[in-house]
Amino acid sequence: MEELKQKLKVQIIEALNLQDTRPEDIDDNAPLFGDGLGLDSIDSLELMVLLERYYHIKVEDPREGRKILQSVQSMAEFIQSKQPA
Amino acid sequence: MKGKCYIQGMAAISPQHTFEGDLLSQPMAVTQGNMLSCVEPDYRAFIAPNSLRRMTRVLKMGLAASLKCLQESGVAVPGAIVTGTGKGSLQDTERFIKEIRDFEERALNPTPFIQSTYNAVNGLIALQQKCTQYNNTFVHRGFSFEHALLDSMLLLSEGKPDVLAGAFDEITTEHFFIKSRIGHWKQETIASDTLYEHVSPGTISGEGAAFFLLTPTATAQSYAQLGGLQMLYKPSPEKLHTALGQFLAQHGVQPEDIDLVLSGANADSNHLHYYDVLNSYALNTQLPFKHLCGDYETAGAFALWLGAAILKQQQVPAQWFPMLKEQPRKLQHILIYNHFFGEQHSFMLLHKVS
Amino acid sequence: MAERVFITGVGMITAIGDDVAGNLRSLRAQQSGLDYTRQLTTIYKDVLPVAEVKHTTQELSEMAGVAGKEGYTRTALLGLIAMQEALRHAGITDMQDEPAGFINASTVGGMCDTENVYFDIADPAKTGDFIRFIDTLDCADCTQRIADTVGIEGQIATISTACSSSANALMYGARLIKAGVARRVICGGTEALTRFTLNGFNSLKNIDKRPCMPFDQDRNGLNLGEGAAYLVLESESLVKERNATILAALDGYANTNEAFHPTAPSPEGDGAYAAMKSAMEMGGCVPADIQYVNVHGTATLSNDVAEGMALQRLFGEQTPKFSSTKPFTGHTLAAAGGIEAIYSVLAIQHQLIFPNLHFKDKMEELYITPETSLLEDYPVRHVLSNSFGFGGNNASLLISKYEG
Repeated sequence: MEELKQKLKVQIIEALNLQDTRPEDIDDNAPLFGDGLGLDSIDSLELMVLLERYYHIKVEDPREGRKILQSVQSMAEFIQSKQPA
Repeated sequence: MKGKCYIQGMAAISPQHTFEGDLLSQPMAVTQGNMLSCVEPDYRAFIAPNSLRRMTRVLKMGLAASLKCLQESGVAVPGAIVTGTGKGSLQDTERFIKEIRDFEERALNPTPFIQSTYNAVNGLIALQQKCTQYNNTFVHRGFSFEHALLDSMLLLSEGKPDVLAGAFDEITTEHFFIKSRIGHWKQETIASDTLYEHVSPGTISGEGAAFFLLTPTATAQSYAQLGGLQMLYKPSPEKLHTALGQFLAQHGVQPEDIDLVLSGANADSNHLHYYDVLNSYALNTQLPFKHLCGDYETAGAFALWLGAAILKQQQVPAQWFPMLKEQPRKLQHILIYNHFFGEQHSFMLLHKVS
Repeated sequence: MAERVFITGVGMITAIGDDVAGNLRSLRAQQSGLDYTRQLTTIYKDVLPVAEVKHTTQELSEMAGVAGKEGYTRTALLGLIAMQEALRHAGITDMQDEPAGFINASTVGGMCDTENVYFDIADPAKTGDFIRFIDTLDCADCTQRIADTVGIEGQIATISTACSSSANALMYGARLIKAGVARRVICGGTEALTRFTLNGFNSLKNIDKRPCMPFDQDRNGLNLGEGAAYLVLESESLVKERNATILAALDGYANTNEAFHPTAPSPEGDGAYAAMKSAMEMGGCVPADIQYVNVHGTATLSNDVAEGMALQRLFGEQTPKFSSTKPFTGHTLAAAGGIEAIYSVLAIQHQLIFPNLHFKDKMEELYITPETSLLEDYPVRHVLSNSFGFGGNNASLLISKYEG
């Protein structure tokens, strides 16, 4: 799980081109949108693309996406729940 | 059309050092090769990092030039935003086409699609300045910027207090190659400052972003008055000749009153003959400008920026024009004539603000 | 005093008809043009419904009378067919007797054809016929092809403000006439389906796999469409001079910006509200004067909330009949404003209200619902036609019955 979260942070920074952010700056539970990293709805679509490209998980419903993309923690939990143990 | 139009503030990003500093002290930037690229400023001074991270090159160029123009004019929220662009964000268009292929239409990132939309820059300016007023984008090759200007002049005559008008275009290596296949560029590789010595098929490519704040009244800060604008679509040389005479007469100017002509002549032997119209009216000092910015759909915006700067400074930047024998005796009226590969022709008439 | 601007000719082609009469027939028959694509190469061909013009590009070139001539993209051909009808309809036979302007609208120009050869075009190792499509990469190509084919030599321009493009083209044309720059301007837009736009809207998760359901609680996005539509605008003096038939008047228009988000409107519909209100006021109308609103109504989650809120703010409990005709034509992007302006003219001419197909349940955010039946003999005098797009671009047109 820790490894997955670390990997996710690197991927998020790369995908969203968060130039001045380092992986250690992102708190596992901090909200990605709004006050946290300050991401917006286009970023949320990009994060869904990230999930599809790297983890082969397709999120069809944007409303469902919002829940999954709350934080690095929630993303990691979702990925793990979708992957065979 | 009633009403007047003054350039109250302006900013340009171009292959020359036009964004910062004093026009008369900037040396000419010379490009070895047929593709001129912009001297880009540090965008962080104008655009927040969180916005900057997604933006591609021409979006940054367009947005930064527009914001500097507004800053310089002391206007935060203009009465309208009107732009022209021939190609919009090429980088985003190219990227989205490639992603469709590479990812076989699956899991596509929407950002390049959104940014490839021709009015993306307009939307960004409106968003950043919270401008909820009239917003329009023209995308018609060598008329893109000129129609943005005409629309702006209409808006001023309809009562808008000010209008932000501008243009932006970029060139990429891929697009440079594509257009080379239909003969847009010279086959021989040249240095930009020797352009006019190489009269042959094709020209050199360029790019740029330029914005203007236009108002219906002049102030002490005004750069110039935009007195007239005319577009001609695929005119014959005869029609062009008649139209230029009528254009000058209509604005109460005799050919000998024109102190300087900025000409779009670009050493392209396929379309160079149109510029003979300037000689047929025995117009005074003619200076070509494409060695400075290259050729692209909205090069007319660079010419307007240059003409307005010259009128305000009351001096031609001689270091940019080695062909200039002597400074014009006076600088009251400037005519700009440009065309894009022989199809879209335009005249602009600029007056000094008295 | 600026002259009034009249609509004196209309021409169009969409998924529901090859001309204006064909469109009217399908609207009356409540026949949607949505289906799966036959022209487009895409993995979504059996997944995402589109409203495609039911002809191959070859057939279109025959209909336009340019079969065998090279370099016409599908975008240009659709436009040419609509343009020819508009000129015929306005009784314009000689383009020389009055200089006509042409303000066209396009979102991706000739992408429909260039996207199939783009990688050949960009590959130095490849040569072939595809070279002729290089000049069709931009938005101006279709405009010039159309202008050159029918002989337009006046002001020509192409506008691209995403989904509001042709509404802005109409507005610009009307303003050129009012300013005395031209007396006749033909305005509208043309759009062909492309893999580029289909994937673009799909990447935004904005496309419904079902036929779109504007203003329905269960809506889940738009369906793309293609087509072209042009309206001949003429000054009052020219109309009188040549004794032309007036179809309707373009008395009001407005363009506003949301300044809210690159692709989403403000939830309260601020820009839509301001555009409709200004267009109405410009034409000297109050809310009670409007009988029909042809809404933008794309059936995306955010558009319909914003537009609905704007309608409620402007009209309140007395909201006039409104419907989205996108379930008929799909969302035709740059052509939508032109197509819907013609539908507004038809509503006035034939005293009709078109049904908003596929509507079942009221949206929870709104108390208003669209008209779901075809209403004949409905007294329509003033119509608002809305077009909203990316970049926060909102346009609203007021089209009115000419009553002397």
